Amino acid sequence: MTPTPAKIRILLADDHTLVRRGVRLILDAEPDLEVVAEAADGAEAVAALRDVEVDLVILDVAMPRMTGLQAARTIARMRTPPKMLMLSMHDNEQYFFEALKVGASGYVLKSVADEDLVKACRTAIRGQAFVYPGAMSALVRDYLDRLNRGESLPRTVLTEREDEVLKLIAEGHSTREIARELTISYKTVERHRENILAKLGLRDRTQVTRYAIRAGLIEP
Amino acid sequence: MSHLPLYWRVCLTNWAVFCVGTLVLALSPARVSERVLASEAVVLAVGLAAMATLNALLLLRSLAPIDRVIRTMDSVDHLSPDQRLTAQGKGAGARLVASYNAMLERLETERSTSNAKALAAQEAERHRIAQELHDEVGQSLTVVLLGLKRLERQVPDEVRPELAAVRESARTGIDDVRRVARQLRPGVLEDLGLHSALASLATDVGALGRTTVRRTIAPGLPDLPQDRELVIYRVAQEALTNVARHAHAATAELSLCKVGDKVVLTVTDDGRGSADLVAGAGISGMRERALLVGAELRVTSAPGRGTTVLLEVPL
Repeated sequence: MTPTPAKIRILLADDHTLVRRGVRLILDAEPDLEVVAEAADGAEAVAALRDVEVDLVILDVAMPRMTGLQAARTIARMRTPPKMLMLSMHDNEQYFFEALKVGASGYVLKSVADEDLVKACRTAIRGQAFVYPGAMSALVRDYLDRLNRGESLPRTVLTEREDEVLKLIAEGHSTREIARELTISYKTVERHRENILAKLGLRDRTQVTRYAIRAGLIEP
Repeated sequence: MSHLPLYWRVCLTNWAVFCVGTLVLALSPARVSERVLASEAVVLAVGLAAMATLNALLLLRSLAPIDRVIRTMDSVDHLSPDQRLTAQGKGAGARLVASYNAMLERLETERSTSNAKALAAQEAERHRIAQELHDEVGQSLTVVLLGLKRLERQVPDEVRPELAAVRESARTGIDDVRRVARQLRPGVLEDLGLHSALASLATDVGALGRTTVRRTIAPGLPDLPQDRELVIYRVAQEALTNVARHAHAATAELSLCKVGDKVVLTVTDDGRGSADLVAGAGISGMRERALLVGAELRVTSAPGRGTTVLLEVPL
């Protein structure tokens, strides 16, 4: 009998019981994910981490008592902090950058949680950044702006298709829209997106943060 | 004489002139016959003309300052604060100016308190609705979205596309709720602060693709009270909205820095500008808001030379 690979243990914090339940059911349905603890606010999440060992914490940004961002800051100061993901209603790249600054690996919008959350969990566990699409277009737009202004940038070699995808991302199109526009599958666009991120050097949290600071998108 | 009420000044002036006329008639050798002679008529006419002129000159001294004040009153712009008339001399005009200025003062105080109340009420209401949308409607729709996703795995294949379509509607619903909530109240200002909120405004306008927005936000700005931050945010928002809607600008610049004991917000663009813009509706809204926190707003715009909005907020 081969031992089943260890599941990713998750702590889920959201003040809405029903949302928490919905997210939990989605995650538990995956063979490699398991919600082992729940919390109704940031303070509860921080307290729960003292008793339960987890690999990943999913925090809602807006929670009473202690917000998700505050909790993430506290958790990041732990001796061996688990990976963190922020879950939010706010479609605004500033939240994403703030999430990275406080130590989270990614930011998932609730309106695409059904599609993105599972992927984001796996990305976070691999130690990479889950770049929220809205922020990606802000970063890419800045990149293109600098190219146009003739700033010397490490000109990465993108394939023709990746270049097309890059421009559509800069214009703020969603993965779904890009797939429709180029008549390719959602999965293919996702793969292009991943490759572009890798080629622009926006793979991990610190790289993205550094780039965003340099681009003036956030305060250092 | 100058402290008399205007009514009495006019009466006294008239009486004085009548007295002079009567005295002249009584003491001078001039006589009027039963049937007026031509020479007498001339004398009478000259006397009458002299009285009328004297009267006019004397009344002019009392009344002209008042007309002057009325003309200046008409030109007062009610939305720029601290605009007062200046009194000349200390006659009736000066007193009119003084009481008019006092009235302006009272009106301004009253208006800014009632505006402050109205704006505060409006912001509070927007806040409440936005919160409700986020916390109630948005979350319920999220539950629907996640539930449908889960159901999709358990239903027979032929139902799946239909369920997926319903799930997309739920997603659109969440997006709409979020968009409306965001227009009502910038969550980012409250959650992440002014710096992030301004950066996000700049990104939003930049994302429309017509104008490149550069932002310079000085690091280490002092913490401002919430009402001032909100005014700065709303003015920047209005100014950038104007840029996006009307300016046809290639680049715009948003900057916030500390100058002396003031925090200065500047939004400039290289668009087509307009002389009418200065009095536009959006501008008076910005000015109202600026008044609330004792800030000063200056807008300069000329055709072909772009527009500059400058807000100085006292610390």
